[in-house]
Amino acid sequence: MMYDYFSSIVSGITAKLEEDPHGIHARKRYALAVAALGQRLYSENARIAWCGVTAPFDLLNSMGVTSCFVEFVGAMLASTETAELFMQEAEDAGYAADSCAYHRAVTGAMLKSAMPVPDFIIGTSSPCTAGLAVMENMAKQYRKDLFVLNVPQSESPAAVRFLALQIEEMAGFVAGHTGQALSKNRLGEALELTNEATVLIKEIYGLAKQKPSPVDSRFLNNFGVVITLFMGTREGVDICRAFRDELSHRIATSAMDPSQERIRLMWVQNRIQFPFPMESMLGDSGAKIVVDELNDVTWEPMDPDNPFESIARRILSIPFSRNVDSRVAHLQELAREYQIDGAINPCHWGCRQGTGVRGIISNGLREIGVPVLNLEIDCVDSRNLAKGQIQTRFEAFTEMIQG
Amino acid sequence: MKNKILGFTCAYAPVPIIEAAGFQAFRVLPQGECPDQAGQLLHDNLCPHVKRVLDRALDNDLPGVSAMVFVNSCDSMRRVADAWRSARPGDQVMVLDLPSTNTPSSIDFLATEYERMARTFFTWNNLTFSRERVRERINVWNDLSQTLALLETKMGEAFYPGLAAEVQTVVNTAATDSVDAALAMAKAAVTKAWVPAGGHAPVFLFGNLLFDPKVFDLFERWNMHVTRLDFCTGSRFVSTVDLSQTDDPFAALARSYMTGPPCARTMDITRPGSIAQKIVERAGASNARAVMGFTLKFCDPYLARIPGIRQALQAAGLPFLMLEGDCTMGDIGQQQTRIEAFTEMLGV
Ligand code: SF4
Ligand code: SF4
Repeated sequence: MMYDYFSSIVSGITAKLEEDPHGIHARKRYALAVAALGQRLYSENARIAWCGVTAPFDLLNSMGVTSCFVEFVGAMLASTETAELFMQEAEDAGYAADSCAYHRAVTGAMLKSAMPVPDFIIGTSSPCTAGLAVMENMAKQYRKDLFVLNVPQSESPAAVRFLALQIEEMAGFVAGHTGQALSKNRLGEALELTNEATVLIKEIYGLAKQKPSPVDSRFLNNFGVVITLFMGTREGVDICRAFRDELSHRIATSAMDPSQERIRLMWVQNRIQFPFPMESMLGDSGAKIVVDELNDVTWEPMDPDNPFESIARRILSIPFSRNVDSRVAHLQELAREYQIDGAINPCHWGCRQGTGVRGIISNGLREIGVPVLNLEIDCVDSRNLAKGQIQTRFEAFTEMIQG
Repeated sequence: MKNKILGFTCAYAPVPIIEAAGFQAFRVLPQGECPDQAGQLLHDNLCPHVKRVLDRALDNDLPGVSAMVFVNSCDSMRRVADAWRSARPGDQVMVLDLPSTNTPSSIDFLATEYERMARTFFTWNNLTFSRERVRERINVWNDLSQTLALLETKMGEAFYPGLAAEVQTVVNTAATDSVDAALAMAKAAVTKAWVPAGGHAPVFLFGNLLFDPKVFDLFERWNMHVTRLDFCTGSRFVSTVDLSQTDDPFAALARSYMTGPPCARTMDITRPGSIAQKIVERAGASNARAVMGFTLKFCDPYLARIPGIRQALQAAGLPFLMLEGDCTMGDIGQQQTRIEAFTEMLGV
């Protein structure tokens, strides 16, 4: 059923793109790649790994494994308004209703046999150890082998060595399941592609910083997290190029209306994944999200001659792998670079990792003159959504910013 | 002269290292009457353990503590370590990286972390780093753990009123005062003439934190014979360190802590979900006829494993009662009816 669902999206978007073969259509190309990934995940013959968010997807892609972080499924279920059914299933089976809803939705999908059975599972302790528990449960349920990348919080030489060693061990674990050893050449090529894509991503973010910004509130929604799935592939480079080109085109044609960004906003952590009229709510007040916390490049280029260490350094550089001081410093840097007027933190319920320190994040941004709107939204579970209340708080917030 | 006090919040912070560096180890337990203030820095959806600990920090309810070690054990613990710097900027603070798995590379890494911890503490206290001193304190710790094991065996053999609370008092003494004092208490408890009683249902207890000795007296009043205190504030806290395999005390600590009875946050990836089976085995070994779990609200590591634990207990034919709360006496008191119904159902 899911295979057919993704296949129909793939053919629909492909047909649309064929109508205008020379158009840029960045979001469509991105949606096509995501649907094609869904199709591969649900096809019978792919080798599949369910992973944690910070798994090295370029390495896995170079080893011919169709891999994806499980939270992607949670987000997808929310976006198609089917998450509720699965969350209920998980809750009925005894999983805590106040845990992260990405995980609850995935757990329910697993219990209802709506997830493709993986060949193996790779957990990561970053961004959250809550995700590790889900991976362990999955390994038990599917009776599949589990590998875990423990991501230390520091970037000390010992921490880098430990993570690099685990990544090398992970490659051995994967090879043990696919029957194909890691090819240093193929990994080198994949890392070169990651570097090529990363240069483009930096250009995209560079363009997004301009005033007025060529992005609209949705343009880079979920981009930084989802694009990692396509790292190490030509497809990933092509998607990034399309995004870069579309922004350049918008700037060249002065496509953005400055009156639509009287207020430039930063979104903290994850976006709301179920259908929610965020853009229109913001647009009514002339406000626009120009940057997401998760849209940034914090790492140096990958070194194909030293692959495990450079991948380790990349994972360790992600602010969510580190302590809150690093996270606040990163948010402050983004706030300055994008010249934002305010920040919205949805405070995704159930996320101890990200939402846990919301007071410290608010203090850190207020320190540099950036007001923060802390909401109480479950970004995946819409069952308790108080839309009217959110609208009122948005309005009050934007009014306050406009003085 | 009294030793300086070094606070800790997680059972994976080895007390022998803290004491070897000349500190009094003080586990900051989530107790006391200080007002709820943690919400200034942390979200309400964190477990009451870390929120209460932060309340104590914000209320300055930590007499003499000038240094802290946090363990990167779960998301909530990471966050309280973050908040500490804002709450008590004057404290010396160290965060220890604790892997989630017990693979050989994780254990090797943890050994280097424990050595880093020891070197940091010796430096903080202006003492010369000494591996030998760490070994000495491990030996005393092991003496305590073996003495406590005698008391725990006794707990499983028959119902001795007051014994569970006594064991908990010994553990609390090791956690908040000194291992030497705890050892003296444990030895006295071993020689005490405990009088067995009948008519109580033998129940194995497990979970994250339950540390007030009065709670176990209450359970006894509610007809329960507590056969084991498998909490990170109970028997899991004082586990034996096997020094026979290596000369390196840090390697010994890392191996023993990662392969001993696990907290839910530590995984054996070769046997996913094996915590459930281990609980079944330990409950059986303690002669329990039933199992009661207690976990704090919002504790992802435990709550995510409860369905698996429930299944394993069901398969083993062990009745199971699961409680979730904030580990205050008031909260436990509200569970009286459920616990009494449970022990009654066991029909002793
Ligand atoms: S929202 Fe938080 S708890 Fe959920 S997957 Fe992301 S980091 Fe983990
Ligand atoms: S293990 Fe559970 S109780 Fe302990 S700090 Fe983590 S979330 Fe809180």
